[in-house]
Amino acid sequence: MSILSTLNNAIFKRTSTFALVVVGSVFFFERAFDVVADSIFDKINEGKLWKHIKHNYEK
Amino acid sequence: MLKNATPFIKSVTQVVPNGLKTTTKCAIISKKAKNLAPVNLFVPQINLGKSAVSSGPAVSFQVRLAHTDITVPDFSNYRRKETLNPNQKSAETLDARQSYTYLIAGAGALGATYSAKSLVTYLLSSMSASKDVLALAKIEIKLSEIPEGKSVTFKWRGKPLFIRHRTAEEIAAEQAVAPSTLRDPQHDNDRVKRPEWLVVLGVCTHLGCVPIANAGDFGGYYCPCHGSHYDASGRIRKGPAPLNLEIPEYEFPEEGLLIVG
Repeated sequence: MSILSTLNNAIFKRTSTFALVVVGSVFFFERAFDVVADSIFDKINEGKLWKHIKHNYEK
Repeated sequence: MLKNATPFIKSVTQVVPNGLKTTTKCAIISKKAKNLAPVNLFVPQINLGKSAVSSGPAVSFQVRLAHTDITVPDFSNYRRKETLNPNQKSAETLDARQSYTYLIAGAGALGATYSAKSLVTYLLSSMSASKDVLALAKIEIKLSEIPEGKSVTFKWRGKPLFIRHRTAEEIAAEQAVAPSTLRDPQHDNDRVKRPEWLVVLGVCTHLGCVPIANAGDFGGYYCPCHGSHYDASGRIRKGPAPLNLEIPEYEFPEEGLLIVG
């Protein structure tokens, strides 16, 4: 309860802090989202991508 | 009072379906209601203490009977946990309710911001040239093929490109020129990465003609169209051109190799 009230009073009540927190957390969200999406793509295409077969063609 | 009024209400519900002909007989006063003042039911009255309003927009109401046998549906499944207790003050649960709402709104805003950012990024990156186009837009030149004192012309991105292997005398002469005496003041060191190699675009800055190498009063380039003289550093020295010859992006990745673009 106290966590929620701190959260509410510190961040959510003022639009300025709310927008600031949203913009700030987008950086971390983007990084995490991109890493997860890329790893899913690599897993689905395992063995088909250049980085997976590169060692067969390069010394 | 209300108990005594029920026969009146009953009589009205009976009268109205039969039309308004029997208005004079509508009030059937029972024995119990004898001492009531006669009420004209078709001119509704609101009792406001001493004053009574008998006409006006707020007075035109219907007599509605309470149907208390209809149970109010239970919405507690759809309500927030914090609001279920009717004895709790809403101010006490304010933070819990608000932070939940704003958390959902914030998560939505986060997703929207990320989508908007990605959209703009992809849109802008689709406008710029792709890597294969950029790779074709480069030119690789072997410097050992250009003898000292010669200026060689290449075609690069549809424009002539002058590469001049300068002699030691030319370098010394261009280094000695004071920038303050020039129309477009630039020191020779600012125009070359290696003093022996001058790389300039062969487009006259006056009207875009192609200058002639190793000609003119200053031993560099001479534009035959309107007589602009450039020196061996590609700087305008005489004639109508306003600016020095343009220098493209270039680099020396290894000895004897020049990449322009």
